[in-house]
Amino acid sequence: MKKVTPVDIIIFIIFLSICIISFTLYTNVSGKPEVHVTIDDKEWVYDLSEDTTASFTGPIGDTTIEISNNRVHVHSSDCKNQICVTSGWIDEPGEWISCLPNDVFILIKGQQQIAQKEETDDISF
Amino acid sequence: MTSHSKVRIDLVALFAACTLFLSTIEYMIPKPVPFMRLGLANLPLILSLGIFKNREYFLLLVLKVLGQGLISGTIFSYIILFSLAGSLSSAILMFLTYKLFKDKVSRVGISLTGALGSTITQLIVSRIILFKEATYVIAPLFLISGLITSIILGLFASEFTTKSIWYAQLKEQAV
Repeated sequence: MKKVTPVDIIIFIIFLSICIISFTLYTNVSGKPEVHVTIDDKEWVYDLSEDTTASFTGPIGDTTIEISNNRVHVHSSDCKNQICVTSGWIDEPGEWISCLPNDVFILIKGQQQIAQKEETDDISF
Repeated sequence: MTSHSKVRIDLVALFAACTLFLSTIEYMIPKPVPFMRLGLANLPLILSLGIFKNREYFLLLVLKVLGQGLISGTIFSYIILFSLAGSLSSAILMFLTYKLFKDKVSRVGISLTGALGSTITQLIVSRIILFKEATYVIAPLFLISGLITSIILGLFASEFTTKSIWYAQLKEQAV
């Protein structure tokens, strides 16, 4: 049996390309902010930098979200207590708005701009 | 049924003992992430291809999974799912690769397929039950470490298959 055969090299290349693909997956996750809207186990993804409005139908009615100026809020909702609407605008990755009665969950995903967020601590300074 | 078609239980037991021993060694080596593994226990499986009959090979596989669970103490916890899924898919992939290519593929290639199969399966399992979305973060680390360790393991296995007199004897018996 020879030491390294062409088949080996093909397998190696497949493996290596999967490694590289996994890296691009990783950078995608930490790329530009995306708005993820989850409703009923289904998920919609919107670009946070594109202004748009979208409407979703949940168990009790419609929920409309609005994206503008790199931020997102719930414009209107058919729920009773309107907590999602009063949550206001969110713009940072990791922030979320939830409408429990209508089963809508809005989450911003993307790279956290830690460098910008970090403010000098008065005490340590 | 002639004695020739029977499972050579003593030979399988020897290989299974090797798996257990190598699992113990692997368990002792500290790892940065608990599920990252060197795949040392895969070595007997890689070597057994070509000298074991199909049923002997799969018997060894079952013994490997049970033995690993026993050694690491995870046999009755959900962690065995990782080991089970990883071992099953890697063993089946290695088996198919060997049957498809025979002497066109070396032990390095077989080892690589095994590592690829087990890593991807474990990532899928961890995506479902443990880390959810965070799996993307650990995926590159898992894959790269699997790539490196499986090449080293494969090189060792191919050295062993060409140099060992004991192995050559076993191979003659198998034919």
